Amino acid sequence: MARRKAKVGQAQKLTGYGILAVLGLITVWLLVQQSRFNPAVLVALQAPLPQERTQAASGRPLAATAAFIPEVAGFTPRAPVESFGPENLSDKINGKAELYLNAGFKEMSCRSFGSGEAFVEVYLYDMGAASNAYAVFSGQRRPGSLGIPLTANAYATANGLFFTQGRFYVEIVADRASEGLQSSLTAFATALLANLPSEGPTKDAAALFPKEGLALDSLRLCAADTFGCEGLTNMFTGEYDLKSGKATAFIARRDTPEQAQADAKRYLDFLAANGYQKVQPPGLPGDIQAFVLDNSFEMVFVQGPTLAGVHDGSSLEASLELAAKLQAALKGKP
Amino acid sequence: MNRRDFLIRVGCASAAALAAGGLGLALYDSKGPAPAEVQKTLTGLGDYTPRGLASGPGKMAIIRGADRAAMFRQGIKALGGMESFIQKGDRVLIKVNAAFATPASLGATTHPEVLAAVADLCFKAGAAQVLVTDNPINNPDSCFEISGLANAARSTGARIIPPRASLFAPVSLPGGKLLQNWPVMAGVFPGVTKVIVVSPVKDHQRAGASMTLKNLYGFLGGRRNVFHQDINGIVTELALLLKPTLCVLDGTVSMMTNGPTGGSLSDLKDTGTMVVSTDPVAADAVGVELLGRTLADVPYILMAEKAGVGIADYHRLNPVVLDTKA
Repeated sequence: MARRKAKVGQAQKLTGYGILAVLGLITVWLLVQQSRFNPAVLVALQAPLPQERTQAASGRPLAATAAFIPEVAGFTPRAPVESFGPENLSDKINGKAELYLNAGFKEMSCRSFGSGEAFVEVYLYDMGAASNAYAVFSGQRRPGSLGIPLTANAYATANGLFFTQGRFYVEIVADRASEGLQSSLTAFATALLANLPSEGPTKDAAALFPKEGLALDSLRLCAADTFGCEGLTNMFTGEYDLKSGKATAFIARRDTPEQAQADAKRYLDFLAANGYQKVQPPGLPGDIQAFVLDNSFEMVFVQGPTLAGVHDGSSLEASLELAAKLQAALKGKP
Repeated sequence: MNRRDFLIRVGCASAAALAAGGLGLALYDSKGPAPAEVQKTLTGLGDYTPRGLASGPGKMAIIRGADRAAMFRQGIKALGGMESFIQKGDRVLIKVNAAFATPASLGATTHPEVLAAVADLCFKAGAAQVLVTDNPINNPDSCFEISGLANAARSTGARIIPPRASLFAPVSLPGGKLLQNWPVMAGVFPGVTKVIVVSPVKDHQRAGASMTLKNLYGFLGGRRNVFHQDINGIVTELALLLKPTLCVLDGTVSMMTNGPTGGSLSDLKDTGTMVVSTDPVAADAVGVELLGRTLADVPYILMAEKAGVGIADYHRLNPVVLDTKA
């Protein structure tokens, strides 16, 4: 016999809904509690001690990069090769680790040497891709440093050499400056380059930008949060000194026009959220959006899959001039 | 459903809910996880403020020049001499920044000339013992040796205390959000009567700048890089853990870019300034100016001021300004 359908009274319904509401509240409370960052839990459960940390750094199985660091005549090793991965890079370079981690860091090996009276340290970073290596290279480029023909991306300062080769970023730094030491460092760099795998020609970032007024040593590839805008990644920037003022050009290649449009919107929203006002000055091409805040001008446009524009223009004239040059330079480029 | 069925079902549901709730309550640990080893949890590292300065504004000297030892000597003299801070029989702990195994010329660590000058005057003021410590990022022995700090300590009779497991104890800052049951190098403090923090002025990729307050990060143990998620919060909480006797901020040469490691001499700039102060917040406020930045660029300074650690508007301390070249 079929069971008679139960009739549910109003009080029963309310009681049922009440119980469900209480259970829902408990669920929300549990989710909120679990989402709270509590580093004490990590340390209390793992409690790594300082000795263990040191062993972890030096005792980590030698990374592939370790094998590329050469022994060169005139350079006496002062310590064994040390290798670091994403989990312990900060043990070596502390607060600078995020710069590398944000750019796709894979591993790093380093070794210190004595060269005559000098202390020399060599750092070899595997960044996973040539663009990532260029990002950390250009992001740390010392203003006014001399470009050198060691590789396509290389410069020297008074006491060091900095360069990329394929997916690798290399720093060779001494504790002092001297002409003789520079040639020794170059010899070491040449030996190191001979050990690194060949990865084909490196893309020339400068070729993307119009040449007139461009400070070549200002070229950067910002891996993350360009101009402070969260999520705006892999953006090339270059600084210009034009007759009408100073400004920074930016270019970002995306896979599709839709992605470029989405990133343009992200940046425009960021500008608006930070108090920039949209302006429509005479002579502004229809496909360019212009914003201003305290006499600092921003111009943004999308050309196919490319997002480009002008950042922090010191005058409207300079910003318009650079935007026009940028549009012309990008025209017809894949 | 009749009344009897309903009551039975409500009873069963309530019993199940009570059982689940009771089980949760029984398993709930309101104190959080215990430290790895059973140790007493500390709530701070101590107040080493000089006698007579326990209340009221701190003291400060800003010294221009290039000779670090001379700058420190003149600065401390202007504040009443080392005897105002260190008395006979004191056991002094000097916290240096020995974070990296790099030579002093690269400016990533406390300069050994400043350490030597500070330790020397401590002994001359009658200190019974001077200890020098840090928990460096890299291998501690290499850091102290290569930075020249070990040699500077040896030359004055000071003793380096490298980090070792037995020196770390769990610390919970009352009201702290981050410092709860965290291993801190508290084992160097028993018997210590004065603490001097000696720091370089450096750019810092994550924190904006590394000076006096950020130097206290070197007391932390464990996988402290998790705190990079909230670097301003942890530096502020560290500032509440310890009230030093004196802070020496060495901006004779400052690391302007690519900090905290630097690497190129072109990252450094002669800024020709040293700060000797009892107020770490005021000292760092001067350091920010040396880096060409504002307090807004280094949020933890104003956060530490708000927490009552010191005064960011250092002019209110009426600093003595000296020039060793004059």
